[in-house]
Parts: sequence; C-alpha cells; structure tokens
Amino acid sequence: MRNIAAIMQRELLSLFCSPIAYVVIAGFWLVTGVLAWVTDSFEPGQPATLRNVFMWTPLVLTIIIPAISMRSIAEEYRAGTIETLMTAPVSDAQVVLGKYLASYAFYVLMIAGTVVYLVLMEVFGNPDWRAALAAYLGLLLVGLSFTAFGILASSLTHNQIVAWILGAVPLLLLAWFAFFVVGRVEGFWREAFQQINVMGRFSEFARGQVGLGAVIFFLTTAALFLFLAVKVLESRRWR
Amino acid sequence: MIEARNLCKYYGQHRAVDNISFTIEEGQIVGFLGPNGAGKTTTIRVLTCYQPATSGWARIAGHDVLTESLAVRAVVGYMPENVPLYPEMRVREYLRFRGKLRGMDRSTREAAIARAVQRCWLADVIDRPIGQLSKGYRQRVGLADALLHNPKVLILDEPTIGLDPAQIRETRTLIRELAQDHTVMLSSHILPEVEATCQRIIIIHQGRLVASGSPEELRERISGESKLIAEIKGPAADIAAEVRRLPGVSDVRSEPVDGWTHLSIAAATDIREELARLAGHKGWPLRELRREIATLEDFFVKIVSGAREAGHPSGGPGEPPRRPGKAAGKGPDEVRG
Repeated sequence: MRNIAAIMQRELLSLFCSPIAYVVIAGFWLVTGVLAWVTDSFEPGQPATLRNVFMWTPLVLTIIIPAISMRSIAEEYRAGTIETLMTAPVSDAQVVLGKYLASYAFYVLMIAGTVVYLVLMEVFGNPDWRAALAAYLGLLLVGLSFTAFGILASSLTHNQIVAWILGAVPLLLLAWFAFFVVGRVEGFWREAFQQINVMGRFSEFARGQVGLGAVIFFLTTAALFLFLAVKVLESRRWR
Repeated sequence: MIEARNLCKYYGQHRAVDNISFTIEEGQIVGFLGPNGAGKTTTIRVLTCYQPATSGWARIAGHDVLTESLAVRAVVGYMPENVPLYPEMRVREYLRFRGKLRGMDRSTREAAIARAVQRCWLADVIDRPIGQLSKGYRQRVGLADALLHNPKVLILDEPTIGLDPAQIRETRTLIRELAQDHTVMLSSHILPEVEATCQRIIIIHQGRLVASGSPEELRERISGESKLIAEIKGPAADIAAEVRRLPGVSDVRSEPVDGWTHLSIAAATDIREELARLAGHKGWPLRELRREIATLEDFFVKIVSGAREAGHPSGGPGEPPRRPGKAAGKGPDEVRG
C-alpha cells in the first residue's frame, strides 16, 4: 500500500511538473465550456440541466484521458528509470496501480472543475442535482475504464505520442463507431455493439439513471485493462 | 554473498551471457571487467532482478533472484549504467521517494537521506532539480540512492563513466570506504579502474567468463610470460643460437639495430644472470639487459584480442580454455578468488 502511494505521489508530482497536464486540463475545460455553449445549456428558458454537455463528454474523454496517462509508463521506459523502479522492492502490479491512481486522481480533479457549471445553474436556476450526481458517477466510472486503457497503452511503448495514439484511437472507435453503428446493424452485431457501446452505457447516467450493468461494465473493463498492463510490464522483463 | 551458476541469457538468437558462474564472498570488492558489449550489464541485470536469466540461477544473500525477487531487491543497492533519474524531481524529493519505496518510515528515511547525502557530497545540490545537475552530481545522486537503505550488496554498473579525473578519484575512494561494510560489485571496461579499487577481478568477454582472481594472482599468472630484452654485439646467428640453448628459453627473436643485435626472449624463468654470463664468456659486449614485466593491461588486451582472433575465449596463458559443459560441474572452484 505504501509503495503504491509513493509511486502515485511521485507520478502526480511529475504530472504537475510537465506542461502536458496544464494543456490537457485547459483543453478539457475549454471543450466542455464550448459544449455548454453549443448545446444552449445556459440559454434562458432551457431546462437547467447539463445533460447535453454530459452526453458528449465521453467522446472528449477518449482523447483527453490517454493524454493524461500517456507519459506514465512510456516515459519510464524512455528515460530508463524503469530500471531503478523495477529493481526496487516493488511488484509490477504496485507500479501499475500507483501510476493508474495518479492518472485517475488527476482526472477526478479535472472533472471536478466542471462542477462550476452546476454552481452557476444553482445561482440562476434550479438544476436537477440527483441527475447531475448520477452523471458524475457515470463520468467517474468511464474515467476508471478509460484511464486503465490509457495506462495499458502507455505500457506498450516508450514513446508518449505513440502511447497517446494507441490509447485514443481504440477508445474513439469504441465510443464513436459503436455509437453510430449500433443503430445500423441487426442481429448478432447489434448485440455485440450494444455490449461495448460506451456512449450508450454512459447515456443512462447522463439521463440520471444508475444501471448496475453499466457499473459492472466499466469496473470489469478497468480491471481487465489494468491486468493486461501488469502483464505487459512483466513481459518486458523477458525480452 | 553473491552466487551465480551457469547463467545464460539470450536476446532472441543473440547470446549475451554464456554460462557464467562465480561466487563473491561477503565484504569483497569485485570488479567485473570486460570490453563493451561483453555481457556485463546483462549479468548485472539478472543479479538485480531486472531481467531473468534464460537458464542458470543466481542467489544474493541466500535469496534466489527469480523466485525471491523482492527479498533480493531489498538487500541490493543498484546503480544502473548511465544513472537514470527523474529530471523534474529535486534531489531530496527523489531520495524521499526511493526511501518510501524501500519501506522506510519518516524518521529512518530522513536519517538515511542525511547519511547518504553526506557520504556522496550532495549537500550543495539537495534542493536543486535533478535535471539541472551536472553528470558528476547525477552520478552521486544515483550512488546515494543505491546506498540509501544501507544495503548488504552494492551493485554499480560503470560507476565512473563520464566523470572527470577528480571525480573518478573521489568515487574510487568512496567505493573503497563502502567496502568496509558492504559487498561491492562494480563493472567497468577500463582495467586500471578495476585494478585500483577491487580485491578481485572477474574478466568476461563475449558473454563468457575468461579469468578471475585477485589482481596479484592475475599478474602472477602472466609473469611467466615476461620478456627479456637484450642488446648484444656479435655474430647475430651465433648469438641467437647460443641464447636459444639457455635453459627455459622458448622463443628468441633477433633483429639488427645499428650494428648491435636486439633480442627479445621469451623464457619461463628469469635468465638474466645466465645471459650476462654467456655474453661475458663469449666476449660479446652487452649494452642492455632488462626484464619486461607484462601488465594486467597486456593480459586483458591479450585475452580480448586473442579471443577475437580465435573466435574462442581462452583462459589466458597458463590456463587451458574451459568448455562450458565441463565447467558446469565444478563452477565455483573455477572462479573462486
């Protein structure tokens, strides 16, 4: 536990020392701001809800989250510090978990910044806090899964940019592709795409519902990606 | 303290380490010597649990590096080649982080950092970001990290590479001090480096162990190969023939040098006295007679180049080449210092 905390703490320190963190966080806030504007969420007469903003957020996250996690393991490979890290008395799983938690903590901080919109709505109207809470729970869950995938991508390469692409492209495909294709196919494929339709799963939360299936989906995919990341890290030793 | 048996490591088809066995006793400073690409770093990575061996095993302080990896890592302090560090961290932050990874609580950690910083002369830069430090200081940060938990075993990969001469001397002094309560294994491709610091030298080449022993032992092994240089005036053919007849002479090369005959004589024993007597007896003027003692450097170069020419490393003069298959059974004796 102490090892995980130490790695997480160091990782956060490095994140905040790099310009990427600030670019990412500013970019995310900018995009959500634009989303709030183009979806007319703050227009007079509109219902006081961020549902439309939340609806589109996972798409933004497919690009943003791999950018947060891209450096975590890739940079260790590149700088060679992986050697000092892996020869210290820490297990591979602890390394992956520490890095994961750091990226996730950063993500939570970033998401927390959008609460300001709700506060504004509270000032000027009467937002549905229960629905908003469900949506934030959904974002936290999506983040768990996406961050785990970002860490897996980062464990595959020593180049941060490659790690970002390896993370963002499959997530984009999952989010966009499954979302658009699911209505156009029939039978088995429809079933299959419904299972991996991240946007569809998230939309339940955006509408204010907490579905157990969706919760399990995000938790299990997060666990799977982390497990794979640990295996990738282990396999590095054998090469 | 460190025991390695029949270690092999392949990278794909490339054999980086080929059947290396050695034992290092507690409290020794051992130099791991070999030309670049000899397999030093690979062997070290196996010992420090960074990479597993393809076959063979190694133990440090009684723990197997593969099955009890965490226990091994806890007793080893390791400084990798080129000292990878996090440039964005300050020295103190980095050492704190490493202390936490080693499971130290706050007070032990701060005490350990203070001790390591003092030992490695880091006090001036303790609050500077590592990225701003010079190569020499970074090297010391790496060393401080390796020393932090007062490890039983210190493994340093090329500890003085890239340092200036003054820093090299400081580092050597430090390493010698450390050997009082640690077992130290350091690698280098520079012989004088190892000769100056180590009690024992293990020479590897092309992944194989080619010689091992104290500097004195290795030197003794080659002293039989010493050469005599003599310059005598007289009939060249007679001189060579007569000298060849002296006891223990295996080879005589002569060449004329402005009217004198320059001889270089390979002999098993020191025959200067006999040679002088011979010259006096024959009435040949003798203007030079000296014994050229081979240095470890010669030995090292000979091993390395000889192995390269023959495509097979020999154990050096006086020691027949050992086949790995035979060495397997008697691994430890082969190399124990």
